[in-house]
Amino acid sequence: MGYLFFKIVNLELRKQMSYRVDFWVNTVVSFFAAMGVMYFLWSSIFTASGQTRIGGYSLKGMILYYVLVILIAKLVRGAMQMTGVAADIYTGELTKYQLFPTPYLTFKYAEHLGSLLPAVIQLILFGALSPLIFDFPETINITPISILTCITVTLLANLLFFTLSLPLQLIAFWADNVWSLIVMNHFISGLLGGAMLPLELFPDWAVRILAYTPFAYLYHFPVRILTGYISTEQLWLGIGVMSCWTIFLASLSWLIWKAGNKQYTGVGI
Amino acid sequence: MIHVKNLRKEFIVHRKPPGLLASMKSLFIRDTITKMAVQDVSFHVEKGEILGLIGANGAGKTTIVKMLSGIIHPTSGSVDVMGFNPWQRHPNFCKQIALIMGQKAQLWWDLPAADGFLLLREIYQVDPKEHQEMLDFLLNILDVHDEINIQIRRLSLGERMKMELIAALLHKPQVVYLDEPTIGLDISAQRAIRNFILEYRNNIQPAMILTSHYMEDIERLCKRVVILLNGKFVFDGPLQDVVQQFSSHKIITVKLHAPVEISSISSKLDLMEHHADELKFKVIANEVGSVSQHLLSTITGADLSVDEMNTADVIEEIFQDKS
Repeated sequence: MGYLFFKIVNLELRKQMSYRVDFWVNTVVSFFAAMGVMYFLWSSIFTASGQTRIGGYSLKGMILYYVLVILIAKLVRGAMQMTGVAADIYTGELTKYQLFPTPYLTFKYAEHLGSLLPAVIQLILFGALSPLIFDFPETINITPISILTCITVTLLANLLFFTLSLPLQLIAFWADNVWSLIVMNHFISGLLGGAMLPLELFPDWAVRILAYTPFAYLYHFPVRILTGYISTEQLWLGIGVMSCWTIFLASLSWLIWKAGNKQYTGVGI
Repeated sequence: MIHVKNLRKEFIVHRKPPGLLASMKSLFIRDTITKMAVQDVSFHVEKGEILGLIGANGAGKTTIVKMLSGIIHPTSGSVDVMGFNPWQRHPNFCKQIALIMGQKAQLWWDLPAADGFLLLREIYQVDPKEHQEMLDFLLNILDVHDEINIQIRRLSLGERMKMELIAALLHKPQVVYLDEPTIGLDISAQRAIRNFILEYRNNIQPAMILTSHYMEDIERLCKRVVILLNGKFVFDGPLQDVVQQFSSHKIITVKLHAPVEISSISSKLDLMEHHADELKFKVIANEVGSVSQHLLSTITGADLSVDEMNTADVIEEIFQDKS
């Protein structure tokens, strides 16, 4: 199964490269578009407010946060799997996978990982180029240990995001359209996960509550680990919360999957 | 190998009348109707046999195939495929079946077939040597060696279908479901696919179920057929028995040696074809004697022959009469 998993990831990587223009737009243009918006927005906010620090961030620190969160969020979300499972159910594509002697959800997760290729290239490319393009703080506390820890936690966050969106997508077995639910999940997880705003800008009571939700660990947590702001104790607590949520959501998905299978009609064939 | 007993499938379908008011109402309350797709169908298929499943659109053919391959659950009834219950989808069951759908691609659209075949080798855990031998065998019969490295989306419909067949059969399934495998193909591609199916059957001896709207597929490939009408079982037996059991008419062919005035022949007769030297009448079976006498007395110097209707016409008649 391990080798097959690797082969599926590999196949998805090749699929990602089959559309050249889309690949480069996804890899290069999307970063500049997102980063451009954040750069001009926060430059204006800092200038208009006349403050040198907002929520503990200087303008340089804020720019660094967004560079990292944009790159890591892509690794967490994947490039194309936001609606993959729901689309398979609606189009009858699920039929193809059901005929295989391999578990469908494992197959889809392998595809999800394979779809990360543009995000990985983006991370390497802009991770190296960003210090030359943007004005970063003089003291950045990124170490080999923090990089390795961040990679591990980002992979966990990727699995957490997949299991978080899975129950919503599986509702497609019963509902005619789950698009609004998926968009809502994308928006809420982006907002509460720190992809839109650093969580330090939220009130203290909200941050304390968020620490028990899966959202806080999707984007904000890996970025703060990379920049060295998370203590060892906070790290293990975070990994514990992430693992509990992943197990809970994966089990919930499994139950919905079993029930939904009885509803499946294989439309489109 | 395949045993189906009292298979039944009901679908619950939402019904929404047109108009804004109905749309608003459907946000709160929805009307549903229960649609009977398959009703108490029983049959069996043996190793090496190709069973034709015939029926008009909506007769329940594809629903049966979906149930037999474990994609959907039946409402009631039992199915045994090689000792497995299909909808439990045991990995050993999945490794021994194939479903080929003429209207649905199974290979990966953006990649060449060769990449898809390699992944399928891993999915079905086929020995690399055996896989290569089978691949060469299938590529040879279908003559698509040159297209194997071209993206699926860039192939013609016929070439794509050939690749789909190869993909589905690479793991040498013992049970094969073919759901309209020749739909939309040109005559030569249809013929190639039919020959291929026969060749595969002769070599591997699987149990096969074929659904098709093309009678030529059924006539060339199936010795036995099951006929379905609106989800109900109508007939199970040899194809040639369909004509004897259901045809209420025969065909009288009149060879003319001299031109004849059609109006002089009784207008009550059903004239099917009219040529300068030949007339064809469709006649109720028990009136053949009296009609023949009438024709012989009306047309001088004519040769008469009486034939059965062809299978395709009989089946069309069944669908028209009972629908």
